[in-house]
This record gives sequence, C-alpha cells and structure tokens, in this order.
Amino acid sequence: MSERRASLIAGLGLGGFVLAFSFAGRFLYRADPYTIHPAHALQAPDWAFPLGTDELGRDGLALLLAGGQATLEVALPAAVLAFVTGLAYGLLAGLGPGWLDKILMRLLDVFLALPSLVLLIFFAALARNGLSNTMLVLLLGFITWPGLARLVRNEVFAQRRRDFILAAQQAGAGPFYLARVHLLRVIAPVLVVNGTFLVGDTIFALSALSFLGLGVQPPQVSWGSLLQSALDIIALAPWWLLLPPGLLVFASLLAASLLGRGVGRGVLRR
Amino acid sequence: MTPVLEMRDVTVTLPRGGRDVAVLEHFNLTIAAGEMLALVGESGSGKSVAALSILRLLPAGARITGEILLGGEVVTEARLRQLRGGVAGMVFQDPLAALNPTRTVGSQIGEAWRVHKGGSRAAAWAKAVALLAEVGIPEAAARAKNFPHQFSGGMRQRVMIAMALACEPKLLIADEPTTGLDPVIARQILGLIARLRREMNLAVLFVTHDLSVVAEQADAVHVLYAGRSVEWGRAADFFAQPRHPYGEALRGAVAWLGQGRLANIPGQLPEPEARPPGCRFAPRCAYVQAACEKAYPPPVEAGTIVACLYPLRDVPRAAAVVVESVAKTFAPLLEVRNLSVRYGKAVVVADVSLRIGQGECLGVVGESGSGKSTLGRAILQMLPYAGEVVLQGQALTARHRARRQIQVVFQDPRESLNPGLRIGEVIAEPLRLAGVARGAALAQAEALLGDVGLSAALMDLYPGGVSGGQAQRVAIARALAGGPALLVLDEPTSALDVSTQALLLNLLRELARKRGLSCLLISHDLAVVSFLADRIAVLREGRIIEAGATAALLAGPREDYTRQLIEAAPRLQL
Amino acid sequence: MRRQRAVRLLRRLLGSAVSILLLVTLVFFLAHLTPGGPAFSILGQKATPGSVAALNARLGLSAPLLVQYGIWWGHLLQGNLGYSYLLNRPVGALLWNYEINTLVFYTIAICLSTGLAILLGLAQGVWHGRWPARVIGAFQLVFYATPPFFTAAILVLCFGVWLHWLPASGIGNPRLAHPGVGTYAAHLVLPVVTVMLLTVPMLSRYFGEAVHEELAKDYVRTARAKGVGFAGILFTHVLRNALRPLVTMLGLSFPYIFTGGVLVESVFNYPGLGWLLWRSALGRDYPVLIAIVLLIGLLTVLGNLLADVVNGLLDPRADYE
Repeated sequence: MSERRASLIAGLGLGGFVLAFSFAGRFLYRADPYTIHPAHALQAPDWAFPLGTDELGRDGLALLLAGGQATLEVALPAAVLAFVTGLAYGLLAGLGPGWLDKILMRLLDVFLALPSLVLLIFFAALARNGLSNTMLVLLLGFITWPGLARLVRNEVFAQRRRDFILAAQQAGAGPFYLARVHLLRVIAPVLVVNGTFLVGDTIFALSALSFLGLGVQPPQVSWGSLLQSALDIIALAPWWLLLPPGLLVFASLLAASLLGRGVGRGVLRR
Repeated sequence: MTPVLEMRDVTVTLPRGGRDVAVLEHFNLTIAAGEMLALVGESGSGKSVAALSILRLLPAGARITGEILLGGEVVTEARLRQLRGGVAGMVFQDPLAALNPTRTVGSQIGEAWRVHKGGSRAAAWAKAVALLAEVGIPEAAARAKNFPHQFSGGMRQRVMIAMALACEPKLLIADEPTTGLDPVIARQILGLIARLRREMNLAVLFVTHDLSVVAEQADAVHVLYAGRSVEWGRAADFFAQPRHPYGEALRGAVAWLGQGRLANIPGQLPEPEARPPGCRFAPRCAYVQAACEKAYPPPVEAGTIVACLYPLRDVPRAAAVVVESVAKTFAPLLEVRNLSVRYGKAVVVADVSLRIGQGECLGVVGESGSGKSTLGRAILQMLPYAGEVVLQGQALTARHRARRQIQVVFQDPRESLNPGLRIGEVIAEPLRLAGVARGAALAQAEALLGDVGLSAALMDLYPGGVSGGQAQRVAIARALAGGPALLVLDEPTSALDVSTQALLLNLLRELARKRGLSCLLISHDLAVVSFLADRIAVLREGRIIEAGATAALLAGPREDYTRQLIEAAPRLQL
Repeated sequence: MRRQRAVRLLRRLLGSAVSILLLVTLVFFLAHLTPGGPAFSILGQKATPGSVAALNARLGLSAPLLVQYGIWWGHLLQGNLGYSYLLNRPVGALLWNYEINTLVFYTIAICLSTGLAILLGLAQGVWHGRWPARVIGAFQLVFYATPPFFTAAILVLCFGVWLHWLPASGIGNPRLAHPGVGTYAAHLVLPVVTVMLLTVPMLSRYFGEAVHEELAKDYVRTARAKGVGFAGILFTHVLRNALRPLVTMLGLSFPYIFTGGVLVESVFNYPGLGWLLWRSALGRDYPVLIAIVLLIGLLTVLGNLLADVVNGLLDPRADYE
C-alpha cells in the first residue's frame, strides 16, 4: 500500500471516529454531563464512570461527549465559512483589476501581521460576557480565512499566465469562465489540501481559546475547557481528566493532517 | 595503444514502478585519444544513461553490469573519486542548473582542481582564472568572482567546460552540451570543444539528440534506439549512407537547411516495459520483415556496422531540392505598423512593421532575447504595446472580438493544455466559447482530431495520457477549431524530439497547403523556418534587420548577422 | 545592487508600517466602541451608570473618540503607552518586564529548535525513503498534530507531578527580582521543551524536504562528476542552499511560534508577553492589550525583515529577483 493510501485511510478512519464519537456517542452513552455526584468526586475510572469524574463529581465520559459536540459544532461551520470567504476573496484579488488586488492584499496584510491567536484573544476579550457560539463561528471563520485567501490569490497569479489560460483567453474566455473551467480545476489540489487543514486550524484555535477560558462559555464544556479545568487541579494528578480531551484534539488535528496529505497527493497525481 | 574509454557489454537497469527495468542493454563502445564520438538517439534511447554510467552518476537504485574501462583501468567504486574529474570530465545540458547558484564560478572551478591536486585556495583560484581565460571568457580574473546567474548561457557552458577540464582529463563526456543554446552560440561551443580536443589530444564522447549538431565534427557515430545500439561506425560512412532504417529515418527527419521534404517516422518509441522481443524498431520500420520480430538482429558489417537483418544498400538520392523561388503574391491579411513593446525601461520590440498576406507563412527568426516571442504575443493582443495591429482592415485591441481570429500554438505542449480537461473538451473549447452547442462542438473536435492525424480514441483522454508530439497536435487542432484567419506558431517544434518534429512540420505544411492557412512562424531554428515559411524576417534586439522571400534570403543575405545564422544552421554535405 | 536591496527593504518596511498602523487603529477603535467600554470591565458587577461616568471622566474616556485616539498617539510618541487598569502600573514598564522574560525564553527555544531541526532535517534528507527518515517523519507527524497546551500538560503531569524532577509552574511573581540562574533555568526547561516539540517538527520537515530537493539538483551531480566526496557535497554545496528556505520559514513562523508561546506561558504561568496578553484579555485591560498587539505586530514584521536580510546574504541572486 502506498504511503498516500495509508495516509488517506488512516485520516478517514480517525476523522470518522472523532465525528462519530462527538455526534453519535451520546445516543450510546446516555449519562447527563451536568449532573453532579458529590459522593463520587474526582474518582478514577471504574465500571460506573468509565472515564472517572471531575472535582464536582460530573461524569467524565459524558462531559467528553458534550465537549466534543460543542467543539465541532463551532469549528466545522467556522471552517466552511473561512473556506468560502477565503476562496472568494482570493479569486477576486487574483482575477480582478490590478488596483483591486493591491487594496485587497494590503487589507490582508493587516490581518496577517499578527498571529491569529493574538487577534482571537483580543476579539474574545471585547465581548464582555464571553462569546455566544454563533459569534464564535463568525470570529473563528473571520480569523482563519486570510491564509487561504492569500494562497488562492497567489495560486491564481501563478497560473493565470500559463499557456493554456492564455489560449483560452485568445479564444474569448472571460474571467468567470476562466475561474470555473480552468483555474478552479488546476488549483483544486491546493484547495482540497488547505480546506482540510482549515478544519484542523479551527479546531485548534477553538480549543486554544477555550483552554484560555475565552472560548465556549460555561456551563457548556468543550475539549479545551475540560483540559484547562484538569490542569487547574494538576497537583492531584487527575490523568483521566487530562488525557482524553487532549487526545481527541490531537486525533482531530492528526486526521486533518493525514487527510490533507492523502487527498492532496491523490489529486495532484492526475 | 589502449583506448581512452572502453565499454563492454554494459547493461543498466533503473527502478521504475517498483521493478528494475533495463534502459540500456548490451552496450559496447570504444573511443581512442583525440577521437570524437557522437552518441545519438532520441529521448528514451538510453544515450544519457550510457554517458552517466561511465562515472556512475546515475540516480540511486541504478544497477550497472558489464565492464567499463577508463584509460585501460576498470572503473570501481574505490577508484571512482580519482577517476571523476581526473581521468574523465563531464559537461551537462542546462549549465545554469548544473552550477551551484550560490558559489562563485571561480570557487567551483577551483574546487575541481583542489579535489585532485590539493594545494592552497589561492593557487586553485589562480588556476581557475587561467582556465576561464583558456575557454575564452574575457576579463577572466574579474569574471571568476561572479556567480553563475551573471553569465549568459554560452558563457556558462564555457565555465562548465573549464571545470570539466581543470585536471586535464583524457576524456570529455558532454551530455547535450549545446541543447537550449542559440544556434550561433552552440556553434561557438562546438568550435571550442574542437579546439581543446586538438590542443589536449582529448577524447570526446558527445551525447546528443540532434544529428545536425555533430555532422561536421564527429569522427564516429553511434546510434541508439530504445536502449539498444542500432548502427555505429565512421561518421563519414554514416552520413554518406546510413545502413539501418532508423539511422536513415533519423537523418531524413532532421530539418537540414534547404531540405525539401522531411522523413516521417510513424509511431512512437516503445516504453521500456513494452519493448518488442525482436528488433526494437520493427513496429515503426518501413522495411520490416517477419524475421525482424523474432530475435534481436546480430550486428553485421555493411559500410557501418548495423544491427539489422536487411541493411540498406545505397539509396539513389534525389537531386538537391530547389526551394521554390517563384514569387507568389498574396492578398493582404494582417498589417503591423510601428509596433513597440517595453518592459519598464527596456525596449523589447522596437518599431516593427510587417505584413502577412492571405495564405502566406511569414517566418520570424532570432535568438533568445531578440524579442520574437514578445512580438508574437503583442500581435495576439496578450500584452500592451504601442503601434497598430490591423487584421482584415480592423485595428485590434485586447478586448476586441476579432482578436479570436488570431490563434496560437505555444512551444511547450504540456503547458498549453489544461491537465484537468479531456482532449475532446480542449479542442471544443473555442467552439463552445463561440456559442456552438456542446454536441456539435464535440463532433467538430473529433473531425479536427482526424485532421491533425490523431485517432478519435484520444477524445476522452487527459493530456497527461498522451505523448508530447500528440499533445502538440491537439494544441494545433484547438487553434484551428475556431476557423482563425491567422495562426501564430511560437517555436512549435522546439520541445519535441527529432522524429516528432519532422511529423509536426510535415503536418503544418500540409495543413497550410490544404486550408490555405496564413501563419506567423516564430523560431530560433532557421532550418525549421525555411522549411515552412514563404518569407523570412530576421529579428535582432527587437528590430527587423532583414526580410525577404525565403530562397532569396538564404541565397544572398545582406546582413552579417543573417550570414552567421545561415552558417550556424544545420546542413548536410553530400 | 546594494542600493536595489536597500530600496526594496525600505519599501517593504513602509508597507509593513502601514499595515501595523491600520491594525492598531482598528484595534483601538474596536476596544473603545464595545458596549460599556473599559470602565464596565474595571468595575465589573458593581458598575452603576454613575460610577461608570465618574471613572470614565477620571481615565479620560469621556472625551470624543477621535480626541482620545489623538491623545493616545501623542502619548505613544512620547513613549507613554498608557496605564494598566488591572495591574496599576504604566504599560511601558510592564511590557518591558515581561518582554525581557519572553525574549530569554524565545531566544533559547528558537536557537535549540533550529539546531535540532537542522540535524534532523539533514538526516531526513540524506536518508530519504529509508527507515531513519521514516522515524523522523512519524515524529514530525505526531508532534505537529499535538496542541502545545496538551504537550505542556502532559509534561507537567509526568515531570512535575509524578516524578517531581522539575518545577511545574512558573517562576511566579514577576516582581521576584533575582530568582537565581539555577532556579530560572530549572523553570525554563519544560516551557522550552514544549515549544521545541511544537516548532522542531515543522522546521525539520521543511528543512528535510529542502535538503532532499537540493540533493536531487543538477549541481550536486556536477560536484560528484568533479570527484567531490559526499561530505563535501553536503556541507560545501547543499547546506547553504537548503538553509535559505529554512531562514525564510523561521522569519515567517514567528506568529506560529508566538501562538504556541501564549499557550505555553499560560500553562506554566511563565510571566512573559503571552501570559500578560492572556491575563489582560481575561481582565479586559485594554491599554495593555492594545500595546501588546502593537508590539507583536512589530516583532512579526521584524522577523520577516530579518529573514529577508539573512537571505540576501545567503543568496547572491536575491538582488535580481
């Protein structure tokens, strides 16, 4: 089996697992994440609580399932939003007149002048009582798109002086035709790969933000906030609270990375 | 006297798709001191593999069997570093890539010296400067401090030669050293090699795909086809009468100056995995017999030595073709008035005026940097220019619909077809853009595919699945699809192999005759231009310095520069 | 040629300056336009309209926004970055304190990362397709996908809580003037290792690919044809050419490293810029936030610029492109 196929299959498997766990898991494991069992606080895994309990006595596995759903419900739409915005912006800059490209790229530089987490933290701080999930989707989408936009624009620039584009223009093709028939097709590998990476980016950004207490707001939990609360009581070494959410974020990022590799090389081959 | 290079029954395999595939088989070669041998073949023939195997410079995974002797000594892994550069020096194609971009040429030449002779850096530098002067680089002491990108293509190849000869080896292996250089420059490089060969009594193994390059200078010729030797012997014998059908076809396919008709070699080179069991050339051979397909033919002496059961006898040759000198007159089609193109401050095309008549083919020749491609693109309205381009009485602009009346065929067929579109869709594109319905457009595309000599089975393939020559014919079909008034052919054959090039040139000539096509043919190759063009314009530094009917221009050039171009063009003395 | 390079650098510098200017302006207005503004954050739950108005008047926040903006610039040009509501100190001094810590931390982490990345990348490029490269590739894949806060948490759990080898949490009080080199170093180990586990996979993979690509280039074959040995080829030809993309990458990856840095500093309570950013965000301490945004923007630009300069020195062709 080629390395590419291995990547693809591993990525699909891992990604599928994360999705199934987060969206379907609670139908199999029906314990309520927010019920408090004071008698069983901070208990290591056993038959009653497969992933133990936190310091309030909440069921660890139920919290993990709820946290997964909350994380993906925000991160996935945000990635879609970022993809659409970035693609449209990049195409506009790449195919539009030169002056438009200059303005759009200057604007992009403003966003890219800062690490995206710094911007995220700043915007999250603006909301006085924390951000609602809808706002989080908008914010994450808004923060992660510039990278893709620049990439698309640069790809379009690299491709648009190629001979087959020139030949199509000579035959009378307009910008929309060029984008639809030629450019999207040749930049598809880049789009697929980076679209997949975007999902990883938004999951990471949301987890980081929640980890810092600025993302998904309590009482709702997410992977990032679960990690943070485990870390708050790290002196008690609650490994059953620390490892699972971290491993799930890791699995999501790894899946995105593997899928990107596998799919990308596949599309490129033709 | 021991030969400088001897290769005995050498077979080379390379890993391909998980298996070892033989790319060169049972290869024998001998070169004596002072001798120049031309190793000739098209891409995929194994000629570069043969050259690289001598110093074991093949990519990882290659396996060499047989015996290779350099100066009478068997090449072994242990002695390799002494032999490389010490006994045999190497020069490659594309000197820009072959030189380290971030080190001065002086240090790179000096390195070649120090690796073998040791000594101080200062001594190596002095040696490098002396070598640069020796290969004809002016102001060598100053130029040694420059980086490869600061030299012109020809000068870079001189640097490569200086480096290869730094330790006075007995053998120079030159792998396509003139490919990609302008004809005049290529001729100078050949002259330099000839001089050094005389002065140093150097043996030269000259690898090339282009017979015309070596016709004048080689002592011996060795022709490879699909990994096997097909014909070898003295160059004079070979050029007088090749004895192998492939040798004959190869010689006939080269566009020599004044050539009337090019020999077509039908079909394609077989892939290494799918080679016929008998004579490799049998499937494409015009003289094929049943016996040819059974076993590889043993070499026989027949003037040259050929691996052929039925060596050619002397073929009666047609009298030298006279290029049509009847002056034709054409109705006016395109007129270019005072066209200039600038990039920043540089004037690339300066005040060019020309006319092309209905049904006429105008050739524009010039070396790289002469502005010939820019001129073509300006006429196509692909870039901003000053001046006027008038087609059928209409002045064109980039936004003008009449722009579609001029279509284009580019140099690199791979670049000019979208890898993600099927060939049928590619050809139908201009029709679809002109508003023809999908079904009708595809039907027309299929007909066009037939016109350029390709089968309809290609319609559903992607460009990645066809050969370079086929892709270029697809590009021609696309250019013809909209029924253009004028075709701009920008170096249409430069990226192709000799036999494919012949096929394409014949096709273009036939199309021009049948369809009354008007075209602007841009090329650096005077022989190619003279084969197709009714009239030739010589472009130099953005200006047309001379123009005239093809025969007249070739017979009596006015300008010195034109004379140089004609001298550098391949010609066959019989 | 020197002049061309200088002109190009200057032009880029100007472009970046405009970007940062726009960014800071945007950030300033956003911070002051949010409902309630800073006063609400400071007063928190106890805020009444009266107390908010009083505080606004005291902090100069009741003036028209444009006037505030002008005043802010006036102060900035005098080197006055404002006053932290939260920590009750001038922002300038505050930043200086934390900036030093961050610089120490990052310099160590980036130097070690680069060194390790070069070693791993060389090995990966040279043994491309064989098992050492595969092992390194697996390491890169795994740690590239591990979020830094998770890495940090695991390290704390293992080495801090279970094994008690190293201090798990920060050197705490930023006002602790002289913690002693030994203590300081001990506290730096885990944060630095975390950042390395974040950056080494990315840098080494990038460098490994560059080495592999360079090794496949024609000039390497030329050097072999001259009789140069493998070590000579690797160190006198390939290394320098492969370093160019690595330098560019280092310059560009500053935001990436800093992102990791914020998370790492927050886990270890290491009093650096990232930690300050986090704390000020939680406390809605806008003057500090704005100043940090400005500072980090500057550092990002500086990183790119530095990479440009170093590359100009490494590559003689840079002047021509």
